[in-house]
Amino acid sequence: MMRKIRKTGPGPVTWALRAVLFLLYGVPILWIVLTSLKEPGDVLSSQASLIFRPTLSAYTDAISNGGLLDAGIQSFVIAAGTTILTLLVAIPAAYGLAKVGGRITTVALGLLIVLQMTPQTATVIPLFQIFGSWGLLDQRIGVIIADTALLVPFAILLLRPFFRAVPDALEEAGAIDGARNWKIFTSIVLPVARNGVATTGTLVFLLSWGEFLYAINFLLSPGSYPLSALLAQQVSAFGINWPGLMALAVITSIPILILFVFTYRLLKEGLTLGAVK
Amino acid sequence: METAVTSVQTRTAAGGRVASPARRPRRRGQGRLLYVLPAAVFLAVLSFYPLVQLVRMSVSNVTASTLNASWDFVGTANFTAGLVQGDLGKAFWNTAVFVIVVTVIGLVGGLAAAIVLRHSGRISGLLLGVMVFVWALPPVVNGSVWKFLLGDNGLINGIVHATGLAGAPIPFLYDEHFALMSVALVNSWAIIPFNALVFRAAVLGIPAETFEAAQIDGAGPWQEIRHVLLPAVRPTSLVLAVLTIVYAFRSFDFIYVMTYGGPGTSTNTLPFLGYLQAFVRFDYGLGSATAVLTVLMVLVLAVVYARSVRKEEAE
Repeated sequence: MMRKIRKTGPGPVTWALRAVLFLLYGVPILWIVLTSLKEPGDVLSSQASLIFRPTLSAYTDAISNGGLLDAGIQSFVIAAGTTILTLLVAIPAAYGLAKVGGRITTVALGLLIVLQMTPQTATVIPLFQIFGSWGLLDQRIGVIIADTALLVPFAILLLRPFFRAVPDALEEAGAIDGARNWKIFTSIVLPVARNGVATTGTLVFLLSWGEFLYAINFLLSPGSYPLSALLAQQVSAFGINWPGLMALAVITSIPILILFVFTYRLLKEGLTLGAVK
Repeated sequence: METAVTSVQTRTAAGGRVASPARRPRRRGQGRLLYVLPAAVFLAVLSFYPLVQLVRMSVSNVTASTLNASWDFVGTANFTAGLVQGDLGKAFWNTAVFVIVVTVIGLVGGLAAAIVLRHSGRISGLLLGVMVFVWALPPVVNGSVWKFLLGDNGLINGIVHATGLAGAPIPFLYDEHFALMSVALVNSWAIIPFNALVFRAAVLGIPAETFEAAQIDGAGPWQEIRHVLLPAVRPTSLVLAVLTIVYAFRSFDFIYVMTYGGPGTSTNTLPFLGYLQAFVRFDYGLGSATAVLTVLMVLVLAVVYARSVRKEEAE
């Protein structure tokens, strides 16, 4: 008689660990939202941690400040501009490096890995000087260009496996039909690799939305900061108004939540493919 | 879509032999290098040129007043200045502690999360979704949240107080012994979802028969993890280890938001020290020298990474 195969359902240890994970990841999110609905005075008293009268004053204060809408627009323009520019540069490069082998490609990939790993502080110092002499400081386009330079290596490395997965036979068929290289690329290869493009585009948008080091150093006045830089500036100030700050954190996160809801499935697959290869 | 692909493929099978296959791929292959050109030019101007400039600045005397003038060559003076002032040594040590803590906890936590979330089900799916969402949030948001949670009136100290573990609030972020560890733990927390996602894909890739075979041999859940799961995720963990080391080494956002390098110099890692020297002390030469050291360390890491990826692809 063969022994019955145990169905590997979750055991008590698994459930305990899941509870820990929920506490570690669910509670902080809940806590930001709760705090953003408090009066500044409520934050200091422990009695009011869960039972308090919710108020939207932190949000109305933040919005009536006026600068918030500008910061939001700034964030959006920087993130969208970076995403478009990065994809324009990275997509053809990833395709080229996916389909051509040999030493040039090996060297290029090595250089891209080095660039991707370089700490941002090593580029913010020289770029500050270079942008100063090019007149790109205090301009949105300067931040967009710097963010693009930061993310292009990442985007190429993430996109490449998607292009490698496009069968050569598909392209050869296009060639036989007399299509030119560029036509084959745009009408055959790109549609097949569209998941990779969407994954990469989403991640580049997320990363440039959160980027603040370039923004805080290249934009010379807080009036032109995007949301991320505004948040970074306020959180390192003295005497933090926590409900106000958490309201700003929530406002900064809402676009991410919306994007995330629509792209989670895509990210889950795309990340695991791109991260490892 | 599916049908379109197959129809094109069958056509190739029929027509591929007629058009001399030996010459075509080579000619097309070379042409495709042109696609790399825009990125090459872009990165040459905005990534490699800045790095050259960084090296030049690191051997020059560059301050706020001489930033856009000509720089005096000072040789290795910036490097020795950093060492003599004692900042570099301390920052090296901080970086090492930081990277080790984040890597160990990030990998162990990621693997543990992947194992407990490997079953498909509504709860583990939801939990994984929440975790990946947290990972996708801007570091500046996550850092702010934890600065709040770890504050004197924050949730963690509230729990500590309620359970009577300590009388006074624990100064997680402004005690020089706790601060580095606190930021490192928050950094590990932030990377665990990503590592869990990648580990989970590796775990799900193990054929079901392997588990069944182990069970027929009488293996319990712990033995299954030890003898089936861990060996199977080894190549993945190698790659993830390097990625996590690099992530920890580059870490900037959380330090900036949570401690700004303080108290004193206790959370100055090498990249953060370089930033402070350049943009707070306005000694761009000194900051560049520190940054050059970080780039050199990255070069070493990149070689290790390239090797482990090649190994993973070979296996």
